[in-house]
Amino acid sequence: MRAPYYIEILAANGDILQRQRVDSLPIRIGRGYDNDFILDDAHTAASHAVIEADGEDGLLLRDLGSRNGVIHRGRRQPEVAMTGHTVVRLGHTRLRVRGADQPVAAELSDTAMHGWEGTRPAVAGLTMIGLSAALSNWLGDADDFEPIAYLMIIAYALAGGLVWASIWAVANRLFGQVARFGRHLFIIGCGLAAMEVWELGSTALAYSLSLEWLTRYGRHMYIVIIGVMIYHHLCTIKPRHMRRFALVATVLAIIGSTMVLLSNLQSSGRLGDEPYMSVLYPPVLRVSPNHTPDAFFKQAQTLQAGADAERGKGGGDEEAEDDSEE
Amino acid sequence: MLLAGLCAVAGARAAEPAAAPAPKPPAATPDKPTPARSTAKPPPASAAPAASEHAALPPPSSAAQKLYTAARADILQVRVLLKNGRTQSSVGSGFLIGTGDLVVTNYHVVSQFALDPDTYVGEWVDTSGQRGNVELLAVDVLHDLAVVRVSRHGTGFFRMPAGQSPLVPLTQGQYLYSMGNPLDLGFAISEGAYNGVVTRSFYDQLMFTGPINSGMSGGPSVTANGDVAGVNVSKRLDGELVSFLVPARYAQQLLNQVALQAKAPKDFKPVVTAQLLQHQDAMLARLLETPLSLKAMGPYRVPVRESEQMRCWGSSNVKADKPYTVDSTSCAMETAIFISGALQTGQISIRHEFLRSSELGALRFAELASTSFRNENFGSYKSAHLTGPHCTEQFVKNKTLPLRAVMCVRAYRKFAGLYDFALLTASTDAPLASLQSRIDARGVSYANGLRVTRTFLEALSRSSAEQP
Repeated sequence: MRAPYYIEILAANGDILQRQRVDSLPIRIGRGYDNDFILDDAHTAASHAVIEADGEDGLLLRDLGSRNGVIHRGRRQPEVAMTGHTVVRLGHTRLRVRGADQPVAAELSDTAMHGWEGTRPAVAGLTMIGLSAALSNWLGDADDFEPIAYLMIIAYALAGGLVWASIWAVANRLFGQVARFGRHLFIIGCGLAAMEVWELGSTALAYSLSLEWLTRYGRHMYIVIIGVMIYHHLCTIKPRHMRRFALVATVLAIIGSTMVLLSNLQSSGRLGDEPYMSVLYPPVLRVSPNHTPDAFFKQAQTLQAGADAERGKGGGDEEAEDDSEE
Repeated sequence: MLLAGLCAVAGARAAEPAAAPAPKPPAATPDKPTPARSTAKPPPASAAPAASEHAALPPPSSAAQKLYTAARADILQVRVLLKNGRTQSSVGSGFLIGTGDLVVTNYHVVSQFALDPDTYVGEWVDTSGQRGNVELLAVDVLHDLAVVRVSRHGTGFFRMPAGQSPLVPLTQGQYLYSMGNPLDLGFAISEGAYNGVVTRSFYDQLMFTGPINSGMSGGPSVTANGDVAGVNVSKRLDGELVSFLVPARYAQQLLNQVALQAKAPKDFKPVVTAQLLQHQDAMLARLLETPLSLKAMGPYRVPVRESEQMRCWGSSNVKADKPYTVDSTSCAMETAIFISGALQTGQISIRHEFLRSSELGALRFAELASTSFRNENFGSYKSAHLTGPHCTEQFVKNKTLPLRAVMCVRAYRKFAGLYDFALLTASTDAPLASLQSRIDARGVSYANGLRVTRTFLEALSRSSAEQP
């Protein structure tokens, strides 16, 4: 290892908190002011350790008889050979030493869209939030048009979106130095728009092709969308941990879906959200064919077996019901 | 039926406009007080001044006085007790026939120990405070009658002609005297007028314009001569003094049946099942003996059945300030067969809802129609009486009308072979009109359930002249 040397104090996650250049060996490390590298850590000795050449172009860190010692890989060591990747702990301080000849990783290509920060994604996000709220209200609104109803809904949606984005922006400021509020607002805007598109698209498709399962289990898609949103929020904060965040989002989505399934099972005895497909769309949208009454009642005939089988299993808590309803 | 609940129901009904009663039919409710209320007797202190006030009033009609004196020994209170702790679960009345040990009462008075003899037992109490055990011999759930054997004999006041002997004819306006133990307060006699046979319920009942209260169920109603005219059974909660009696001839039939049977059935569930199966056969035969009548709702023709037993009511939001209109027609039988406090069955109801709009676009109308179609309930899977709903759904086209059809079936847990059927349909032929219909057949055999729902589905139609 070649001079000058750099001593780096690391955070638990590997971030460098402090870096100091030292031109020559040996390097004395400790809390005292006579050291080359001064530790601001009450759990270290005044003269804690020293880094010397090991005679073969390497460095050796030697404990100078401190109380808490030098910890490497969880064990106290009298001396540790220091390569560029060896991290030792002195008291509460984690540090490593690198020489001027330390190789560094290749330059990463810049994939971040620096233009898509700040006001522009924020406005786009807010627009999507407002539009999906207005669309959803308009679809369900069978009363006379009242502007105030739309304004209220849009205001509530925007306020909700702002709060959500603010929370992520605070987290971003904490862990990633900048807030990136506009980006987070854009992510929730996309999420809400995706939900609205899914709501309309999936029900129309279900009606059109008579895909009843799509309405029974369509709610899980919202959980997936929320999972994807969380993934993007996390990646906005820390772009370097995509795989880890994908795993986190997947686990969260699985937990959410399981909870939905279990609560359905508890409240209605089935996994799906509804006992039958309840959406109705205009006839032009429909592709699947009509069946004859014969076919339908043939299917109905097959229900008997299921009902009889359940009957055989016996009933619930009879007394409670009798007394409460009598 | 909870008396508190009974009052609440009465209040709710009174609040409804007379022209638009609830589509839910059971307005005539068997009266049966519950422990909660029946134990809440007024303190004796307040009873004493009431008695002295009575003394100041003119004496009651001498006929009632004489009848009560003569009949007193033969009227009983029939109580259902919890086996554990012997606290009373429900109370009703009954009367001893002739000089024997048979007592006629209502099925709904004894339903708990008929269906669940492991949990409940019966007990009788007479006017002199004697008490003893009750043995259930026969039930007739369709007419709401039961015959029990008690451990004492009658004095012969209440006579029931044996065999097929004709009963005393009644004329409208004739005085009848109804006896029993209202609200577990004490034995009472009340006077009223006979007002003919009511055909609204599926089985004949006599209309008695006099007070019948919870707890008097199963008690006798007699003419001034002491002839049994009927058995107190129920009253309308939304009326004044509109009460119903089971005609005495059904009690006579049940007594004849008891005379023939060697010993009482151990388990009454198969008996009840057989009677319910017989009822649903008769009910559906009567419902389907002629084609269902078709009513016009916009371009659609919808099947309904209007008869003495099944009444139809309509409503519309046409005056409301909405960009769509919805007309609805619902038809339901006004009475149901009482099985237990939580289960009433043997009933058909039909409902049609016609939605249309010219102002909402196709997409928003679809949303509105979906919301209306979504809002249907087929019952909980947690019920102790019925299984959860088992459903199938399909796009179906009958002769003229394409439909989205949903069929749900539930089986009765205690009565093998009986099912509740519900068929829900929505028309799928027009973008700005939706006809949504539902028929419920409760307590029917599987074959009959399929038959009635199929008849209903095939009768829905669109008049070809107005086809777009």
